Amino acid sequence: MATPFGSMSVRELQAGLAAKEFSAAEVARGTFERIEAADGVVHSFLETTEKLALDAASRIDGAIAEGRLAEMGPLAGVPVGYKDNLNLTGTHTTCASNMLRDYVSPYTATCVERTLRAGALPIGKLNMDEFAFGGSTETSAFGPTRNPWDTERVPGGSSGGSAAAVAAGLVPVSLGSDTGGSIRQPGSFCGLVGVKPTYGVVSRYGVVAFGSSLDQVGPFARSVEDAALTLNALAGRDELDCTSQPSDVDFTANLAEGVRGMRIGIVPAFLEAAGLAPEVKAKAQEAALALEKMGAELVEVELPHAQAAMSAYYVLGPCEAFSNLARFDSVRYGYCDPGHKDLGSQYEASRARGFGPEARRRIMLGSYLLSAGVYDRYYYPAQQVRTLITRDYAAAYESVDCILTPVAPRTAFKLGEIGDPTEMYLGDMFTISINIAGNGGMSVPVGLGADTGLPVGVQLIAPPFKDANMFRAAAALETVYGPAPVAPDYADGKVGA
Amino acid sequence: MTQHLSEADVRGIAEYTRIGLTAEEVVAMTADLNAIIDSLAPITEFDLDGVEPTFHPIGDLSNVMRDDTVRGSFAQAVALENAPKQENGSFLIPSILGEGGDR
Repeated sequence: MATPFGSMSVRELQAGLAAKEFSAAEVARGTFERIEAADGVVHSFLETTEKLALDAASRIDGAIAEGRLAEMGPLAGVPVGYKDNLNLTGTHTTCASNMLRDYVSPYTATCVERTLRAGALPIGKLNMDEFAFGGSTETSAFGPTRNPWDTERVPGGSSGGSAAAVAAGLVPVSLGSDTGGSIRQPGSFCGLVGVKPTYGVVSRYGVVAFGSSLDQVGPFARSVEDAALTLNALAGRDELDCTSQPSDVDFTANLAEGVRGMRIGIVPAFLEAAGLAPEVKAKAQEAALALEKMGAELVEVELPHAQAAMSAYYVLGPCEAFSNLARFDSVRYGYCDPGHKDLGSQYEASRARGFGPEARRRIMLGSYLLSAGVYDRYYYPAQQVRTLITRDYAAAYESVDCILTPVAPRTAFKLGEIGDPTEMYLGDMFTISINIAGNGGMSVPVGLGADTGLPVGVQLIAPPFKDANMFRAAAALETVYGPAPVAPDYADGKVGA
Repeated sequence: MTQHLSEADVRGIAEYTRIGLTAEEVVAMTADLNAIIDSLAPITEFDLDGVEPTFHPIGDLSNVMRDDTVRGSFAQAVALENAPKQENGSFLIPSILGEGGDR
């Protein structure tokens, strides 16, 4: 059986297009056939966008016929999937919520637009935890996504559909969003490269807001280069998001440089953290030693306030979510419960039935934390703690170029295994402080855990707007561990066990 | 577990956030919120005297106005496309004054 297009790398796809081994239209059609055949159990896609993809493909094929493929952009002919909190005109953007079940985007998010301008074939919208609240994709109103490595297990979350689609070889690249770990943790659970850029690298315009001071969009891919190529397309100033920053970085530029002379920070307290699985700790140590062997210098750094990041996040995140989700009023868009004679009861019934349990919890928690008297006890101190965490990182970066930590404390868990919200929140213990400080972080696959046999990632963290540092170290790790494989049951065109 | 919130408090928050909860849901939500608030304790245990807050990772933002030139925006019909109910080019809501009626 021919290799499915979604299992190829960006370079392989473009080489095949250039050599006319296949057309962009064949890539698009083949991708949808593969999703039809292989996504049933995994359930990564909520909607597929055949017409948009075929239209984009015909533009690429036209350019190829005229010998202009190179002009069509760095993602020309590459199938890309989008987390369902990213607006794309004419598609449903549901945030995996009943609240937005029928919502059709009247506009396109800047990050999505930039992939399209780079020549991407838009394949569809990907499942997620409702409004990105969660770490397992089990809170989707449309049913969970399953991990292609073991379909009894979760893919992580909240960008679980984006991760599962790439791990199953349905698409080579997808976009997710990360507010507390929602790209990096599913990246680790599904054995992928998953990048949360520095806050401000990618425009948030058109991304349904969760925590506006924390949210950042980034790519999933099976290789560091594919992730870097995609981030090249996404990055840069957008006048529609005043927090977006100019970018003239080519994230692929230093991938072949190696790590000789790089200083890599190790955080001893993270490796001793309660709840860190021995197999995950062993992989983090092994990856650090691999970098050292390639010429990097390992430097112990302290992040003394990182232990407070979890509680700071579970103050700031719900407060920002409470504010952002106030917009769902059952009037302008979103679910409207029928038959109410007064506006108040329409609001209350629509928001009660439109939002799932975790969304309701976070909205109500945020409301409580911002209330008079309580604000001074939690919200204001959380913003002060944010200063301390940011200073910790700044101090660490005086002696290192990037920091290596675990991504998640364990490998993928089983569906239904974690029911207690506070226990679910602990899964973010190593990723959250990066959002709090606004740094870049990425998950890099380092093979399978010795105990569970499931994918394990390590997290590389870079100083603000020095995301190229983590790409450089990630590329070095890839020379040891290889690019991420498609999950075995989905490799070589297989459609699951 | 500390009782940060009573069921009456939770009913008040539900009213404020316009989320209609059933009596059973109030009980469950009260337990959930108290457990979560308990887990936030570390934030109250730091010596933060004199530490300035960081409200945003990009510190020195200021409002920037674009040039005052007319640009395209959503047509009225597009802005109304996702409205659950509309009439005569407007969003339609139940009456908010006096005895209402759902139309």
